[in-house]
Amino acid sequence: MILSLIILYTLTLIYLSIADRFRNHASILAIQGLLLFGIAIARMHEFHPVEMSFIIVETFVFKAIVIPAILLHVIHKTKINRIHSSSSQFGALTMSIVALVASCTITYYMADSRTDMIFFGVALYALLSGLILIVMRKRIFAHLVGFLVIENGVFLFSMAIGVELPMLINLAIMLDILISILILGMFLRRLDNDIHTDETDALTSIKD
Amino acid sequence: MEMLIYIILSVLLAIAPLAVRSERATHLIAGAFFLVQVAAIALVIAFDRIDCVMLSIFRADTLAVLFHILMTLVLGFTLIHSSSYLKAEDISTRSYKAYYTLLMLLAVAISCVYYSDNVAMTWVFLEATTICSAGIIYHREFRQSLEATWKYIFVCSTGIAMAYLGILLLSTVAHHGALDYAALKEVIAEGNPLYLKVAFLLIVVGYSCKMEIFPLYTVGVDANYAAIAPASAFISTALVNAGFLSIYRIYDLYAASGEVFEWARHLLILIGILSLAVGAMFLRRTNNYKRFLSYSTVENMGIVAIGLGIGGIALWAAVFHVVCHTLVKSSMFYQVGIVRHIYDSYSINRIGNYMNINKVGAIGIIVGTLVLLAFPPSPLFVSEVMIFSEIVTVGSWWLLALMLVLMCVVIYSIWSRTLRLGYHSNQDELHLSAVNRRLSYSAAILLIVAIVLGIWQPQVLKEAIDIIVNIG
Repeated sequence: MILSLIILYTLTLIYLSIADRFRNHASILAIQGLLLFGIAIARMHEFHPVEMSFIIVETFVFKAIVIPAILLHVIHKTKINRIHSSSSQFGALTMSIVALVASCTITYYMADSRTDMIFFGVALYALLSGLILIVMRKRIFAHLVGFLVIENGVFLFSMAIGVELPMLINLAIMLDILISILILGMFLRRLDNDIHTDETDALTSIKD
Repeated sequence: MEMLIYIILSVLLAIAPLAVRSERATHLIAGAFFLVQVAAIALVIAFDRIDCVMLSIFRADTLAVLFHILMTLVLGFTLIHSSSYLKAEDISTRSYKAYYTLLMLLAVAISCVYYSDNVAMTWVFLEATTICSAGIIYHREFRQSLEATWKYIFVCSTGIAMAYLGILLLSTVAHHGALDYAALKEVIAEGNPLYLKVAFLLIVVGYSCKMEIFPLYTVGVDANYAAIAPASAFISTALVNAGFLSIYRIYDLYAASGEVFEWARHLLILIGILSLAVGAMFLRRTNNYKRFLSYSTVENMGIVAIGLGIGGIALWAAVFHVVCHTLVKSSMFYQVGIVRHIYDSYSINRIGNYMNINKVGAIGIIVGTLVLLAFPPSPLFVSEVMIFSEIVTVGSWWLLALMLVLMCVVIYSIWSRTLRLGYHSNQDELHLSAVNRRLSYSAAILLIVAIVLGIWQPQVLKEAIDIIVNIG
């Protein structure tokens, strides 16, 4: 069960590298949220009931519903639809596959007995995928998606190493991340209003 | 309980300006907020609460109290200078109140970073500082501040996510999720060395956006550029100190990790050298006095990172350097804020003749520059000589040579630009505003305190730093 969910999660990351509509990006993030929720449910026996309810809120409510809804709202308001036309899907796919191979190799050398190798590898791949999105895409919205992919990777990573953080800390971390995303979404809208483009080329007025 | 009262009271006062109508009421609330900070420090010292754990996630250790004192000092001056600056900007009362609210919330978040005794909570409060700083950077709502704010939030959030990853790796050594520094220090030697190395790398890279060192120093420079000068003074000192403290606590933790600590120290030296190089390079290139001062922060924090990496007496010097840098850099930012008020520009190539326009301010800037460049009796001279002597002791001649070359470039760049402001004629017609010399005098107070520390270091400060650097 967990293995199939993890494989599906990996496929969403590969698809994300070639998807060129931002609605698809928001949908993939919602699917990733649901997959993380499924993984958490499948590992229910490892968690305390209170901790489990917290994870359900974090994955199902925030990652699968609230955050994609914020993204769709931003897409609707800004009319941002596609990634830059000059972006190469083949290049992005190649980079994604290289990242996948690199993640497998690094996991082979890094993971020890205390970590779950499959989770570790996919979490690393998610982190690299997020970074690739940020580096290779010109549009700011894609950067926001990249940041969210990294956040999902970090969540998987915490599962890989089985860390049990106190509830207060978990809650504070989740609130911090949610507020950051809200503020990023708000500023993305302002950028679109004030600068009338959401490409990073437009964000070069501050320089030495 | 005391900590809870302090946080609740501070947050209530911070948001209170939103509920009042006048700017005068906002000033009174800001004054009350300042007094709460003073009272909190006084209570910790008077009732000997040093090293006491509060709410199980806070601890008022010597480093936290020292930095809280510095933050409160800078906050007092920032509140005064902000008032003058904002009145000259002719902004709405709503915007005025929002600025004070955000500044005070930032101060609360920073003080929580200082007192946090838990690796994850330090992370949480550092992320909170990003959110508060973002509002301050965007405050003037022009295109460049929007750009700077976006970059700041995005890069800080990504950097902090990396740091969180590092914390997760570090937590593999923790027993039952106990992430307080003391508990981690006891078990860190049992950790997987590869995990610990990657964790240190990720945490330092993530927190570099707050300490303004290589590699994520750029967001701090952009933030200082877009924020108003008094806020830049606060960000460049209190927030940079929060970044330093967060890295220092991890450094202190790793001191018990054996071989990994050596690796961590080498990494800090590398980051320090790269920060120094970046500072030297961009101090030559930039054409804006605020960015100029920000790159000087990158350079100084690079020296601090090298001090941490070298260890021994250089460690003491690094902490002393941070303390004195806080006083000097905040003074310089306030002075540059007055320059902006007079010329309506920060452009290095356009403005000049400041000595004839505002002699007090010009002397403040020239003396401040000399202190920043570590000319005696600068306290930075004391700290840098100590770092150099430790480098000689450990026999890293290549490092000494590299630092000296880079610092020569820094001295030339900073000094030539400062002389241009003081004595060169203006490049084109400028509409100069009236000079407020009282602000120039008040900014000079911090500089005088710094010079006094260069000549005579009080025993209490020496003992405090001795306690802080007692590693191992």
